[in-house]
Amino acid sequence: MRLSVFSISVFSISLLHAQDAPLTQEQLAFFESKIRPVLADACYECHSNEGGRVKGGLALDTREALFLGGDSGDAVVPGHPDDSLLWAAISYTDPDYEMPPKNRLDPAIVSDFKKWIEMGAPDPRVTEKIIVKSEIDIEKGREFWSFQKPKNPPVPEVEKPDWANNVIDYYILAKLEEKSMAPAVDASPETLVRRLYFDLIGLPPTPEQQVQFQKSWAENPHSALQSEVEKLLASPGYGERWGRHWLDVARYAESTGKETNMTYPHAWRYRDYVIDSFNEDKPYDRFIAEQIAGDLLPARDDVTWQENLIATGFLAMGTKGLNQESGHQFRMDVVDEQIDTMTQAILGLTVSCARCHDHKFDPVPTTDYYALAGIFLSSETFFGTVPNAQNKRSSDLLLLPVPDPFGEPMAEREIAALEERRASMRREMIELRQMRDSLTGNAAGDALQKALRMRNQQQIINAKLQGVDENGMPKTFAMGVQDGASPTDTNVLLRGEIDKPAQKVSRGFVQVLYHDEMPEIKSGSSGRRELAEWITSKENALTARVMANRVWLNLFGRGIVNSPDNFGTTGQAPTHPELLDYLAVRFMENGWSVKSLIREIVLSRTYRMSSDFNSKYYTMDPDNNYLWRANQRRLDAEAIRDTILAASGTLDRSRPRGSLIAEIGDARVGIRLNERDIDKPSEHRSVYLPVVRDALPEALALFDFAEPDVVRGSRESTNVPSQALYMMNNSFVTQQAKAMAEDLIAKYDSPRERIGAAFRRAYGRMPTSDEVESTMNFFREFFPASVASSDRAAAVRLTMATFCQGLFSSAEFRYLY
Amino acid sequence: MTSQHLSLFSRRNALKAASSGFGYLAFAAIADEQARAAARGPLAPKDPHFPARAKRVIFLSMRGAPSHVDTFDYKPQLTKDHGKAGKYGGTRGAMLLKSPWEFNQHGKSGLWISELFPGLAKHADDLCLLRSMQTDQPNHPQATLQMHTGSFQFVRPSLGSWSLYGLGTENSNLPGFVTLNPFGSAQNYGSSFLPAIYQGSKISAAARRPFGNRGRRGGDDSLKIPNIKSEHLNPEQQRIYLDYVQSLNKNTLDKNVHQPGVEGIIESYELAFRMQDSLPEQVDLSGESQETLDLYGIGKTNTDAFGKQCLLARRFVESGVRFVEITHSSGWDHHRNLKNDMEKNCAEIDRPVAGLLADLKRRDMLKDTLVIWAGEFGRTPHGQGGDGRDHNNKGYTTWMAGGGVKGGFSYGATDEHGYEAVENKMHIHDWHATIFHLLGLDHQKLTYNYAGRDFRLTDVHGYVAKEILS
Repeated sequence: MRLSVFSISVFSISLLHAQDAPLTQEQLAFFESKIRPVLADACYECHSNEGGRVKGGLALDTREALFLGGDSGDAVVPGHPDDSLLWAAISYTDPDYEMPPKNRLDPAIVSDFKKWIEMGAPDPRVTEKIIVKSEIDIEKGREFWSFQKPKNPPVPEVEKPDWANNVIDYYILAKLEEKSMAPAVDASPETLVRRLYFDLIGLPPTPEQQVQFQKSWAENPHSALQSEVEKLLASPGYGERWGRHWLDVARYAESTGKETNMTYPHAWRYRDYVIDSFNEDKPYDRFIAEQIAGDLLPARDDVTWQENLIATGFLAMGTKGLNQESGHQFRMDVVDEQIDTMTQAILGLTVSCARCHDHKFDPVPTTDYYALAGIFLSSETFFGTVPNAQNKRSSDLLLLPVPDPFGEPMAEREIAALEERRASMRREMIELRQMRDSLTGNAAGDALQKALRMRNQQQIINAKLQGVDENGMPKTFAMGVQDGASPTDTNVLLRGEIDKPAQKVSRGFVQVLYHDEMPEIKSGSSGRRELAEWITSKENALTARVMANRVWLNLFGRGIVNSPDNFGTTGQAPTHPELLDYLAVRFMENGWSVKSLIREIVLSRTYRMSSDFNSKYYTMDPDNNYLWRANQRRLDAEAIRDTILAASGTLDRSRPRGSLIAEIGDARVGIRLNERDIDKPSEHRSVYLPVVRDALPEALALFDFAEPDVVRGSRESTNVPSQALYMMNNSFVTQQAKAMAEDLIAKYDSPRERIGAAFRRAYGRMPTSDEVESTMNFFREFFPASVASSDRAAAVRLTMATFCQGLFSSAEFRYLY
Repeated sequence: MTSQHLSLFSRRNALKAASSGFGYLAFAAIADEQARAAARGPLAPKDPHFPARAKRVIFLSMRGAPSHVDTFDYKPQLTKDHGKAGKYGGTRGAMLLKSPWEFNQHGKSGLWISELFPGLAKHADDLCLLRSMQTDQPNHPQATLQMHTGSFQFVRPSLGSWSLYGLGTENSNLPGFVTLNPFGSAQNYGSSFLPAIYQGSKISAAARRPFGNRGRRGGDDSLKIPNIKSEHLNPEQQRIYLDYVQSLNKNTLDKNVHQPGVEGIIESYELAFRMQDSLPEQVDLSGESQETLDLYGIGKTNTDAFGKQCLLARRFVESGVRFVEITHSSGWDHHRNLKNDMEKNCAEIDRPVAGLLADLKRRDMLKDTLVIWAGEFGRTPHGQGGDGRDHNNKGYTTWMAGGGVKGGFSYGATDEHGYEAVENKMHIHDWHATIFHLLGLDHQKLTYNYAGRDFRLTDVHGYVAKEILS
């Protein structure tokens, strides 16, 4: 099976060629008399690090920089003038690279350069050979708890074993008993079922589900819980909830962020892939392997293959500094972002701290960073975006093997029209170019601006035309990675500077996590497949632990390690290390099944605890580190919005096709696309709202959505005035309150029935008699204040709507107990 | 709540402390500053570390990096060497470019200021020019971020958030850190790991063309404050609604002891309710006299937008807001059209800024209001295309006025052409340290413990330029 990459150009990776043999006198003389003066006179002005100008990413003022080449590729391939872009440029053989642009070099000089390259490009401009040495003692580093393999620890003895439902409870109870504390009583069934629904599917139980659960609970609490858990784990809402947790970790977003902020119209495929993976309970090791090396895994059919390719979007959808002048710098930044995300997300390690020097806190030498960087530099990242003046770094996309079943063909006429527009623009551009030299001052500037604008428009047309095949059928694309043309090891960079290469290091992994010998990376491959195998190996101390902790955190509001993305020495120590080991080992033993892990945790007695306060325990353990009660948790942004939709009866549980950003297509956020275009009304679940960097929908941004710039294993939960204003005055909230009111009015006749139903929908419980009374009082006060300005029926509706809005606005609506 | 519970923490403090929604008390033991904040409520006014003149800040942010050699950094040698090859690299064919504008000495101090700022020049004796600024990155977004947060790489709290964290705020009806018409990443006014209550409240203000020449359709002069007004309830109805919400919240509160989140929600509704009135009133300029409007250039085509922002800034600090940032966003990125566009931009801000200084002075507020003017970096002494200048992070000028700085003073210097700071270099970290010092905050002491480390605005850097203190 061959992968076709949607490709206009393929950039290659220039690597430093070793050139260590001493120069002969003759070579030295040749360089000093024929080459160096020309470089200095004709080239340095635009291509010198010292001079500060590195056009096209190419500097020629040091040997290292010369061999590093520029954005377009290798400047000099020793012995091969024909492969050397430098020679092509100065010989004016390629109309795209004519250098120097104004004053063509004398043919004699050009032939000197050819001769010099044929000689092997001897270059005496020796800078001191750099060797970066590490001071880190890896062996000693391995002594830290998180770098040791999780062991199946003995189940502790407890004084009150009757309390325990399963093994988890023993660990929790043992710690509480050790601290002379006792677990809180069980939560009420209505509290528990609400907690369970939000935790597992991110939605509240419907009134019918509440009633049903309470009935089963009365018969047999444990089996009631068990069957509810099974039902929820099988619901599509489970993947939407838990997939979203992973999307926080994977910094999923539909635009590049940073200065240029171009959209990623194909990112949503990764989102759907993640949701589906959780729903089918894909083993976590497999899930990770697909995201790192899906393109290299065997696939039995095109559908699987396609899924594997989409998975690698994990590595492609990071933030990108598209206005980066230097292609080398850009590649290093992309690789850095990949290393940073991958190691934090999967390993809970901040390996990218070792980009410029040994990690300051963890046993990760800078050579380990470049061992990993070699793997990613041997791969290519495809993320799309349309080139323009501010986007100097667009790339291709992956063309997917399965055509889009929903794709609508582009009419022949439309294709023809686009082609015609492109052709006429080309003609105009040529005219502009011819005129250019005769213009001066601002007129010249304006012409330049116009040309730039036209080039941008052309690029957009190109993208549209390239999006369909010859019959106008849309091609399907995804973001992702592929192995590069010539995978190879890379050099350590002194202080992370691209023009300060030091010694080469073999591609490999983080040593401190590897107890045996490093597996060999097969020649001709990037090493991503081996990386995927290693990172998901049971020998790796962190992968299972980190994920088990993430699951725990999402169920209790607090991790066993409360720095979920940092298991290094600056992270927080585990409150229950043995429990974490137990969960990690169980997780692996159960075939890395996330559902099994969740099931075991939510069926524990620990999960059932109420959140009742205890002043003595509070004094002893204010952070509730030892879980003497359940944590009160604020619902996250998605759950708040989804619950409003669910309570009003307008929630659309179907999955929308694609994303608003896919409909909008390629665009630059903040220029053609502003927040208003992105924040459109929708009744789908919040996980399907567009996630555009620096332009998040208000409903998400206001309620502490995970800013998708970096890995975010936990969210903040704030309660600030802007949220209050949103609940008080935002049209989404008032519209939904109105819809809920109308539904209540249609379904129930008496105010008391309406109040009861509304409380059930909003809080998952019946109102107390006091609450009924205070609500009736609200009606009595509000209705007269409203009937004055409108008719009676309208006033009834407004009163009911405002009551519903009041429920949405209240603290109980927003909190889990 | 029983008396036993009351003894744990005073209810009033708990309510205040909880407004951060961040479990304040739980963190109280971590750092002195955090404890300080926790003890009195996160937004309560706090004493500075040491007595200081500046009580509040108005930060005038110039997006796009204005040229210093054409404004505040007088370089006669540049004029002499006009047309010669600079020794600083630069674009092909780029030679040293003298400033097209005259410089003159102004005020008793004789500060050199270019003719681009005739109005501001009249306040020469209030200005403290910092002519040896340096920052790490010559790219707009990174340098803008570093100017605001000290870091161009990582998400860190902004200067305004740190200030609010350190000093609290004086007006409980308004947010303590307001940013008008911000441009670029929300990180520039974000609170990062500081509790969200310290984040800047973004108010999209009056710039008619927020994206400069590119324009956004249908921009208007009105201020946009999201969700500030109810479209469906009158004030009486809304109060009934809110009372109902708060009665539900109090029921919730009574069910369990110590619910900082719920207490935070209760507080947030009350501040939000007050903000509905106070904020529109705050941004309503109709009560200002014609003379004042004229002073700021409001009503005049080119100065109207920025004049309004300057006046709003005064109104906010006057009402007790701790930190106000306003942004001039037409763009100072003059790679070309330097001659025309600099004149246009400078004219847009000259009168408003001069008006602001004059207005603060006559209200006797300049003495304890620190006014800061800065772009994210400066521009090169060599030209670009004959009528433009390139980015320059190695040397540039910002200025301060009021709030305990020496007026009519110039600190530091660049080389003969204005390319690189050579004397009393002031890196952006030093600038931050100095601003904190003016506010009475020790930049080494104002820390926040996050992820196991004590963070500060200046990281491990920062030198206070005591020479500029009056």
